[in-house]
Amino acid sequence: MTDAEKLTLLRDLLLDEDRNFANKILEKVDTLTDTVNIDEKLSQKVEPIISRKLTSFVEEIPVKLGPTITEALSEQIKNSQDEVVNILFPLLGKMIKKYIQSEMKTLSDNINAQINQKLSFKYWYRKIMSFFSGVSEIDFVLADMAKSKILQLFIIEKGSGLIIARYSNTDTIDEDLLAGMLTAIKSFVEDAFIKGDQNLELIEYELYKIYLQNFPTYYISAVISGKFDAVFKNRVENDLFDFANKHIKKNIGNKQYIEQKLKEYFINA
Amino acid sequence: MLSLKKIVLVGHFGVGKSSLIRRFVKNSFSDDYLVTVGVHIVKKTVQINNDEITLIIWDIEGKEDMQKLRPSFLLGTSGFIYVFDATRESTYINLSDEINYIETHYPKINLLTVANKIDLIEKNTFIKIAENNKLKIDYFSSAKTGENVELIFNDLAKNLIK
Repeated sequence: MTDAEKLTLLRDLLLDEDRNFANKILEKVDTLTDTVNIDEKLSQKVEPIISRKLTSFVEEIPVKLGPTITEALSEQIKNSQDEVVNILFPLLGKMIKKYIQSEMKTLSDNINAQINQKLSFKYWYRKIMSFFSGVSEIDFVLADMAKSKILQLFIIEKGSGLIIARYSNTDTIDEDLLAGMLTAIKSFVEDAFIKGDQNLELIEYELYKIYLQNFPTYYISAVISGKFDAVFKNRVENDLFDFANKHIKKNIGNKQYIEQKLKEYFINA
Repeated sequence: MLSLKKIVLVGHFGVGKSSLIRRFVKNSFSDDYLVTVGVHIVKKTVQINNDEITLIIWDIEGKEDMQKLRPSFLLGTSGFIYVFDATRESTYINLSDEINYIETHYPKINLLTVANKIDLIEKNTFIKIAENNKLKIDYFSSAKTGENVELIFNDLAKNLIK
């Protein structure tokens, strides 16, 4: 073996590990170069990161920017009230106009329906009254429509809130639950005003009133639409006392009987 | 025969009264805790032999003391379910006193006691605790897994028509 060959052998032995390491680095550099230069490979790596960042950005916007945007908007609206009114006025105007048109149409349809019921007693009664009094038929119909009406009646056991009997000419939410909740509200209010034996008598709910008439072991709840004045209240009160005396007192466990009588008694109320 | 019966769930706040009712009526469960304010009323009809019985279930807000409950909410009740949380000692430490109170003030009313959230505790360990504390427990339940929930309400319904 010559000196040159010995030197080569020695160099191979000493530098073998470094050469392997260098080769591995070269391979990695090649892979990275491929990843950076080939679109498909680059997008595989980068897309999930961008997607994660975007999701987190969207989630953070309301939290980080929400208060600032709200504050800025409030300030802007405060400082430019006239402009805001100018922008919103046509929109609100249109909405109100549409609502009034729809309500007027309903009212007009109801009036027409009533006027066209030529076979009914009410039709001829209105005609005659209108002829003699000089008041228009439509005014009679309008007055009739504004009249108070009993829509539903529930006879409810005090305390438990269980329904003893019911009368209803409209669909409603579950009546057992309604009776329970009415009893809970009634109990709560009556507990809150502990001075004397006072009872909750009336609950107002927008266009409806729920009138509550108390008896020793039960109460009657009447859901009423229309004008609820002292005259109507007095009439309902008298009717309920009369009904209780005639039909509930002796038939408290007879649900079928009471419901039949409720229907007969209040169907035209 | 169809009959209506009012039942009331009582016990401390957060013991799982609403969750038990939700499991029984809707067969669902949620881990989110929503405190009951005032009262919430639901109903479910169960069939017991040839009888149908509609349970009007009053879920009233939790109180640490039965005496603090609004008495008017308990009027006309046919059955009580006293619920406590098996993982919270404070909810059953006074169980005997609470039961005494109910039995004294509502002597004719059916009462069941229920150790709820039993899925969160080793049952045998809790049975030992119950024995040491002389707790009267009718059922072990879990609103989360549904364990014994139907049974509790059905057994109470059976008691109500006896």
